[in-house]
Amino acid sequence: MDEQVIIAIGREFGSGGHEIGKELAERLKVSFYDRNLLDHMFIGAEDVKETMREYEEKLSHPLFSRRVRGHSNSLAETLAEMQFDFIRDKASDGESFVIIGRCAESVLRDNKNLITIFIRGDREIKAKRVEKIYELPERDVYSKMDRHDDQRKKYHNRYGTYKWGDSRGYDLCINSSKLGIEETIDLLEDYIEKRIEKMNGE
Amino acid sequence: MISHMGELEMLSIEQVLALGIFALMFILIILDKVERHLVTLGAAALMIVVVFGICMQDGGAILRALNVTHFADRSFWIASEAETAVSTGINWETIIFISGMMIMVEGMGRAGFFKWLCMKIAALVKYRPIPLMIAFMLISFALAMFIDSITVILFLAAVTVELAQLLKLDPIPMILSEIFCANLGGSATMCGDPPNIIIGTALHYTFLDFITNTGLISVIGLGAVVIYFMLVYHKELIQEKVTEEDIKAMPSPQSVIRSRRDFYISTLIFLLAVILLITHAHTHLTVGFIGVMIAIITLLSVGKDMRLLLEEVDYKTLLFFTGLFVVVSGLEETGVLELVAMFIQNVSGGHHLAMIAIILWVSAIASAIIDNIPFAATMIPVIRTLSVSTGMDLSLLAWALALGTDIGGSATPIGASANVVGTSVSNKNGYPITWGKYCRTSIPATVIVIFIAMWILFWYSIS
Repeated sequence: MDEQVIIAIGREFGSGGHEIGKELAERLKVSFYDRNLLDHMFIGAEDVKETMREYEEKLSHPLFSRRVRGHSNSLAETLAEMQFDFIRDKASDGESFVIIGRCAESVLRDNKNLITIFIRGDREIKAKRVEKIYELPERDVYSKMDRHDDQRKKYHNRYGTYKWGDSRGYDLCINSSKLGIEETIDLLEDYIEKRIEKMNGE
Repeated sequence: MISHMGELEMLSIEQVLALGIFALMFILIILDKVERHLVTLGAAALMIVVVFGICMQDGGAILRALNVTHFADRSFWIASEAETAVSTGINWETIIFISGMMIMVEGMGRAGFFKWLCMKIAALVKYRPIPLMIAFMLISFALAMFIDSITVILFLAAVTVELAQLLKLDPIPMILSEIFCANLGGSATMCGDPPNIIIGTALHYTFLDFITNTGLISVIGLGAVVIYFMLVYHKELIQEKVTEEDIKAMPSPQSVIRSRRDFYISTLIFLLAVILLITHAHTHLTVGFIGVMIAIITLLSVGKDMRLLLEEVDYKTLLFFTGLFVVVSGLEETGVLELVAMFIQNVSGGHHLAMIAIILWVSAIASAIIDNIPFAATMIPVIRTLSVSTGMDLSLLAWALALGTDIGGSATPIGASANVVGTSVSNKNGYPITWGKYCRTSIPATVIVIFIAMWILFWYSIS
């Protein structure tokens, strides 16, 4: 690949966004960043990683956080800013990668090699996937999905340019339930390759 | 009691509106969605237009709230022997003093004073973890007596992280202890913490009044917290070893001084400010006058960098204070704070010790959760009324309020500005301080010091 390419994927919980992103990274032979971002940020500090994991892609409760002269006690907020800096550094180093969530489509919006995608899914199909992966009883599946999506939405709406899932914030929005995970990956790979061709041609 | 409860139930329309504006302001400050200076200024505008203008139709109340004529009084600049006049509304003396100190501190920071001091002390104790932690606790306390705790922690925590990275130490115990001592040091003097400046200027107490009362209590508290933090962290500190190679790799304290000329001048200005504050009871210079003088000397000393220094002043905080004072004056003018005072009087049964305990503990608990500056500003008229109605020595209530708000703020990561800044510096450098980690150490330390303060205030009251 001549040009740098960065693929930022937003996703609904259970839509397969993570799996799709990982497979795309493998096919494109580029780095893949999701929760493993913390492994790259805090090399060798296992206890720090464990603590930070609880605050990833989350918002602090307003009653438990305060801001003074640009400083905030909120770990979630500090971690978000640290991750944004990390993502920006990776992008400015010229690295190609696929990144899941973390408002990357907004953080890197000025990068001309950025491709932004939002993956959603039909509620019942997502529920079946979640039930299978997490081996949860059906009654817990929907609450888990709602909880995670709510967290992602709040986090994204706090830092993102457009609201979470708003089609104006992405190059492509797709329902992964219609074609299934595999065919969605094929379609997206096709789209990305065409975009890369265009980037190389410019 | 019943009759007073009845009075509380029959609030006038202006009292209800003043309370509503105050409550809205507090909620918006806590929610942190709108910048807090905009919140207090907006609330102040509402108070002036709706409560003073429309409901009370009292132009005098508006003038008292804005307090602009106070500048023309000689007593604003030079205190008379027996200053008893009580000024309400915007406490311009506090705002001017804080502005002056901000300019001075900015000058000191630019010259490299704080970093030099921290590095010098670290070198003096040969970078050994236990002496280093105790030395930084003491320097945090001492600096916070004269300089705002945000600046103290900003520099101290940054140096602590830097040292910890070079010496391979865990900086979190040191940062937590520094934060606590900065708040404690702030409680020792009239200029250490904004609540003390507001209390001192509003009730006409001097630097010496503070240092001989809250200062004494804070020093005893400092002894207790040094022992406490050592007990809590000594096992971790003993395990940490600093090698000769680590020490050799440390930068020399002199290397952090940006300009020798600026360094010496800013140190001299700081010493002058300390002398002026310590002696202001004798010289009769008000803290407002001292603030203006220090600001002018600092600005003249930096020459062409004057503009840069002025740009660094935290105007938002000054505007926050301005709006806040107007809102509190709304509560005062409408008599709401008198009702609060009556309520405290009833609950305490008029017993002096109970009143001290209530003011101290309520201030401490409230300050652990909410910003202590609005709380202290609101409580000043309350303790003044309490003192008049019960005949209790006002100074005891003032010390209880100052100690409660200053020390109580140490209990949680959001209780005081220094806590927010200290935890932020630590978090940003990859040393996360969670609420649990913070509170496990700081709540017991706060309770210990508040108990010490309570017993000493009881002793003052009895003797």
